[in-house]
Amino acid sequence: MEGFKNLILKIGRVDRRWIFLVLAIVVLIPIFTPIGMPIRATVTTKVVYDTIENLPPNSKVLVSIEYSPSTKPENHPMTISILRHLFRNDHKVFVTCLWPDGQFMAQDALKQVAEEEFGKVYGEDYVFLGFRPGNEAVVKGIVSNIRKLYTVDVYQTKVDEIPLMEGINKFSDFAFLFSSSAGYPGTIEWVQYAADPTGVPMSTGVTSIQVNEVMPYVQSGQMKGVLAGMPGAAEYEALIGQKGSATSGMDAQSIAHLVIVLFIILGNAAFFIERKRSRKY
Amino acid sequence: MSSTAILGAWIAVFLTLGIFSYLYKDNPFYKTAEHLFVGVSAGYWTSIFFWTQIQPNLFGRLWPSSEFSADTIWYKIYNGLSFFSSSVFPEGGIDKGHDMHLIYLLPFALGVMMLLSLIPKINWFARWGIAYTVGMAAGLRAYGYLNSNVIGQIKGTAASFTDPNLPFFSLTSPSIFNSIVILVGTITGLLYFYFSKEHKGVLGKVSKVGIYFLMISFGASFGFAVMGRISLLIGRFVDLIKYSGSEYLNATVWVLVIMIIILGYDAFKGSGKGTPVSEDAV
Repeated sequence: MEGFKNLILKIGRVDRRWIFLVLAIVVLIPIFTPIGMPIRATVTTKVVYDTIENLPPNSKVLVSIEYSPSTKPENHPMTISILRHLFRNDHKVFVTCLWPDGQFMAQDALKQVAEEEFGKVYGEDYVFLGFRPGNEAVVKGIVSNIRKLYTVDVYQTKVDEIPLMEGINKFSDFAFLFSSSAGYPGTIEWVQYAADPTGVPMSTGVTSIQVNEVMPYVQSGQMKGVLAGMPGAAEYEALIGQKGSATSGMDAQSIAHLVIVLFIILGNAAFFIERKRSRKY
Repeated sequence: MSSTAILGAWIAVFLTLGIFSYLYKDNPFYKTAEHLFVGVSAGYWTSIFFWTQIQPNLFGRLWPSSEFSADTIWYKIYNGLSFFSSSVFPEGGIDKGHDMHLIYLLPFALGVMMLLSLIPKINWFARWGIAYTVGMAAGLRAYGYLNSNVIGQIKGTAASFTDPNLPFFSLTSPSIFNSIVILVGTITGLLYFYFSKEHKGVLGKVSKVGIYFLMISFGASFGFAVMGRISLLIGRFVDLIKYSGSEYLNATVWVLVIMIIILGYDAFKGSGKGTPVSEDAV
């Protein structure tokens, strides 16, 4: 028993760089040799899917992109899946960005899904309005008068000349909002200044670190479900039946979690053994 | 594969591995990547802000092409500005679909005042711009938080215990049990932050329950934070694997090998001035 305790103490004192190396190896192995762990949709993901599924055809949907390349592995797969779902159901998509880098992310997603996969026509099936600085003031602007804020789209075409913009003057002209968010300004600002005051239903896809922050809005019914980080994106990929980068990352995610839990247990065990010994002497 | 794509891949690999190299110890690769990130971000944001807001929405409203008249003093000023930059002030006014709104001179002046903070003698002008921004943000947020985070949350979580359709226990949907947990958690959590009375007796016990709720919440946040970081690590690894292919001239392999050799040589010679990774840098 004493030998075992000494071993745990030895592991507890290991240079943290070895832990980084172990974690890197553990993440890399499943990427090279996928295990194919089952993915089951959670209730919050299912609610997002059902909400979009129940929208009448040709609904006008606002998709807001609020993330940068730094959280691309989490947010981008969910944006792509949501766009696939919207275009598959023949909805009209309007894209705005509250983050400047979001413009590139949105451009990338639209090119892949709208142009290459679905062959949708710009200005008739979707519009890319782009980024405007101002954080929550932009949300307020979209709610009160979108045309005052966006006189031109991202390609500098006047919105008055875009056929799909006909009848779109304010936020309540949309049937649904999906916010793909990585922080401020993002989901919470959309709830506070757009969805709650107007009653337009909204869902969101957020980074894992934000889940705790936005979950109260989901539980209280202020938002229709949430896609929680990479697992949420993988679940949505499973629901629409089109696997993507989130699904392929889930094996590594699961195994890395097990290893981190193991390290936490070992670290705590080492701490308690050491404390017990220091009290003894 | 185009040469720009290959060059981009090599830069991406260098910057990613440069940042990762901090896990070994602080070193010039990390410093280079860090400084480039800060510099490029600042430049990119400034450029985007200018071309998406200031040029079309501010200058576009002050000198719109729809009301261009070369004879007026206002547009003579514009033509003067156009002499310095025809891309910002194109000939014939700015055509972004706006009418003229001279009221926008006010935000323009406030913006200029903010920039005056760079001149020490008259930097007090910046306070006007800051005061407007703070006041506007405070007013906006007060409404948003009161409406969504107080009233909306109370409305959403309050349940009628006499409702026959409300089950006593359900994990995923509204139930009497869930409502009691929310009620107890909210009240005990708030009482923990009540400092006008010493936390002894009943208040002490109640606030201790609040601590447990807070700890569960912090635990959940930590779990999600770990999940997020691992997701980002997976994303970088996927890109590094992609760039290790022959179409990118084995960028990952070459950059990794060169970095290891240089850092190894530096460690071997003992001339590395960098400090080991800090204790809390996980």
